[in-house]
Amino acid sequence: MKIGLEMHFQLPTKSKLFCSCSTEGAEPNSHICPTCLGFPGSRPSLNRQALEYGLMITKFLNCELHDRIWFSRKTYFYPDLPKNFQITMYESPLGEHGHYMLNGKRIGIWRVHIEEDPGRIKRVGRSGEEVSLIDYNRSGVPLVEIVSAPDMSSPAEARDFVAELLVELRHLVGLSASDEQVARCDANISVGEERVEVKNILGLKNLERALNYEVSRQTKMLSAGKEIIRETRAFDEERKVTMPARKKEMEEEYGYIGEPDLGEYNVGEFARGIVLPETPVRRAYRLQSQYGISAVTAKQIVMTSWGMADLFEHLCLRLEPEKVVPKLLGPITSNWTAIEQRLDDHLRSQICRVIEDDINGKITDSEARRAIATIAGGGNHVVEDRVLVEDELVRSVNEFLDAHPETVRDAKTNPKAANSVIGHVMKATKGKFQSKEIVEAVRRELEKRP
Amino acid sequence: MSGIIDEPLLRAINDKYRIFNQMIDREMLEADDSSSFTFSAKDNLCTKEFQARAGSKILEGYRPPFDATPVRKLREAGGLLLGKTNMDEFGFGTFSTNSGFDIPLNPFDTGRACGGSSGGAAAAAALIEGHVALGVSTGGSISAPASFCGVYGLTPTYGRVSRYGLIDYGNSLDKVGLLSRSIADIRRLLPVISGSDPKDPTSCTQPRLEISSKKIRRLALPKEAMANISPEVELIFRHALEMMKQELGISVHEVSMPSLRFAMPAYYILATTEASTNLARYCGMRFGVPEKDVSQHFNDFFSGVRSECFGPEAKRRILLGTFCRMVGFRDKYYLKSLAVRQLITKEYRTVFDEHDLIVTPTMPFVAPRFEEIAKMKPLEMYSADFLTIPPNLTGLPHLSAPCGYTSSMPVGMQFVAPHWDESGLISMGEEWESAFQRKNPEVAQ
Repeated sequence: MKIGLEMHFQLPTKSKLFCSCSTEGAEPNSHICPTCLGFPGSRPSLNRQALEYGLMITKFLNCELHDRIWFSRKTYFYPDLPKNFQITMYESPLGEHGHYMLNGKRIGIWRVHIEEDPGRIKRVGRSGEEVSLIDYNRSGVPLVEIVSAPDMSSPAEARDFVAELLVELRHLVGLSASDEQVARCDANISVGEERVEVKNILGLKNLERALNYEVSRQTKMLSAGKEIIRETRAFDEERKVTMPARKKEMEEEYGYIGEPDLGEYNVGEFARGIVLPETPVRRAYRLQSQYGISAVTAKQIVMTSWGMADLFEHLCLRLEPEKVVPKLLGPITSNWTAIEQRLDDHLRSQICRVIEDDINGKITDSEARRAIATIAGGGNHVVEDRVLVEDELVRSVNEFLDAHPETVRDAKTNPKAANSVIGHVMKATKGKFQSKEIVEAVRRELEKRP
Repeated sequence: MSGIIDEPLLRAINDKYRIFNQMIDREMLEADDSSSFTFSAKDNLCTKEFQARAGSKILEGYRPPFDATPVRKLREAGGLLLGKTNMDEFGFGTFSTNSGFDIPLNPFDTGRACGGSSGGAAAAAALIEGHVALGVSTGGSISAPASFCGVYGLTPTYGRVSRYGLIDYGNSLDKVGLLSRSIADIRRLLPVISGSDPKDPTSCTQPRLEISSKKIRRLALPKEAMANISPEVELIFRHALEMMKQELGISVHEVSMPSLRFAMPAYYILATTEASTNLARYCGMRFGVPEKDVSQHFNDFFSGVRSECFGPEAKRRILLGTFCRMVGFRDKYYLKSLAVRQLITKEYRTVFDEHDLIVTPTMPFVAPRFEEIAKMKPLEMYSADFLTIPPNLTGLPHLSAPCGYTSSMPVGMQFVAPHWDESGLISMGEEWESAFQRKNPEVAQ
């Protein structure tokens, strides 16, 4: 079984691909101008940020980049397309011949390019009396199209690929979190020799469903001795089946020509100058090898949050990774949502101190758990007090022990010798601590002394 | 009231020659008190106060929300916009007879055409004193009417003047330029409309325009240019060359430019492929053509509007252009033409190594009579542009200057300069203007 995908994602720019209108949706037709409405005499000028995002994605997917690029006009008639042509890239994509490593498997990337979105049609009213309303807010919104080789061998793998790619691109260029629902795919799938194209699948769930449907349909046909015809099909979300698309609709002749208003761009130097940030999947690989932790753990840390991975690396500066991991996956993970909301340098250093004290045995696991929960849930000052207060107890114990080396000596042979310390500390700390806490602190501090 | 133009005279001129399809009214004129010169805009340049229909019925009622950059710049320089000049529909023609509105009449003989597609612009330049007309050239639409109407017409280098607000014909060929009775007005206003404009990326890579008067010494005359020139035009043209030698001390050298004969087919393929995509948006849905039956399927609605509102020449060019970019023909026609364009550009460069400018007649004949045009086949009409097309295809700046008269009709000659050398053309124009006695048409009072 072979599956190849053509994926469309929206690039997260503030303004549209060829004009300065906002890309934010709002009241229908509120973000439009002569250019994105294709008014006679208006013309496009390229959004540099969109080009940069496109090049970043192209580079990230290990494509060969072109020094010189240009845009093309793809002509077709549809009410949502203001100029009745779409500005896209045809002979000259941003890059070609790339690949992506999916769980150690190489998925070929045929090409990556950027293009403008048309508008959106909404049909309202009762069937038979319905009218079509068009919202051009989307017209000119920048999209990136990624075309893969037919290297995926199951619907689940195709879904994993898109899901993982989304995670990576979200981090790379900041695709919005709702992209899973709006990721638009065309899928080519062949169970036997002939391939079938399923167009316009929206979202990951539908992608897997549509492909699963095709697998069973094509398998049944083959086992019944029937031939699969090369065709374009559409996925019906309601009935969860694919159906032959109307021929007229799909067999368009686009008559591509170069977009003369934009001319050519020498992007070689610009592209070479782009430095890619580390993406989640790559970071997980690095954490795995650099800190000797399991792949599952590394992935879990990174996928939970970029901030958690940062925290992990921060802790590993002074502590051993294998000791850090249980703390991270225990108390920190269970409070992560609360922690992440308020995570700043101050909070990070508080957490680090607790984990460090825990690992160094200054506090017990349960104390650490309590401290983390307090830090996560409470106001800043409460948390600070608690830590400071615990510090005060330890300090008080040690002051006494430092001043009375004979007590330390006695305590080695006579457990009761510690009582004098406990009594003193209770007095010195004016009942701030429960006797149980003091007893534990004294025992712990005594044990540390030679 | 504005002292720069006599309104009744303007109206009388327009009634007789049909220059404008929309014109400034008395009220607008009286409200004006700060303008220092008048100008007109070809109907394919957007302006806020008039409809922009590009000579086409399919844009009926379309009022742009913005001014084209060259229009805006002329206003800012103190210009008063008199109106929108008649033209061939979308610029498709050599005689301004393919208009969805009025057909302008030649200032020297109202039984003859003005030339096209900037016919109204050339007539305005010829008939209105102190006037400068904004014209647009894709394949010679400034040179041809300038020649037929006996005025100067300068087509700048492609990219010199912003095309923002110009309703496209062939985007890689379209250029906004100036027509005027005097080269001095062109010298003064070309720098005003030139310069980079962020709204038109193709205008952003130009070098600065600096106009200095330099002596033109060597002209090249491609021998291929003299084939198919009518005897009376050839006579006047040769006489003008003689004058240049004798009175201005300019030498003329015959050269050979064999690739010029490929220019016309390459031009018609490139211009129409681009046009066919530009015209796709005119389907009656978003601008122009109000009040049609909207209960049909959109494809039927689009087809109905396009069948009814496009003129026959527009339909011909849409079909030709669409054909040339379809799978199976694209390589043979569209891509091949792009290669031809490179080849011709290279040949020009070689000639410019040893010559300041290239000179040819502008048009092979004087302005034809309307009944002659009615008998011409499309290919004959297209062939009339064989001298104006090569510099347009290669984006080279060129100037058509009146060079003599035959049976009281003006004859034009065309100078072509290297890319960005508008200065050389203006210098040549000034030298010529000092030696040549230009005639104004007689204007009815």
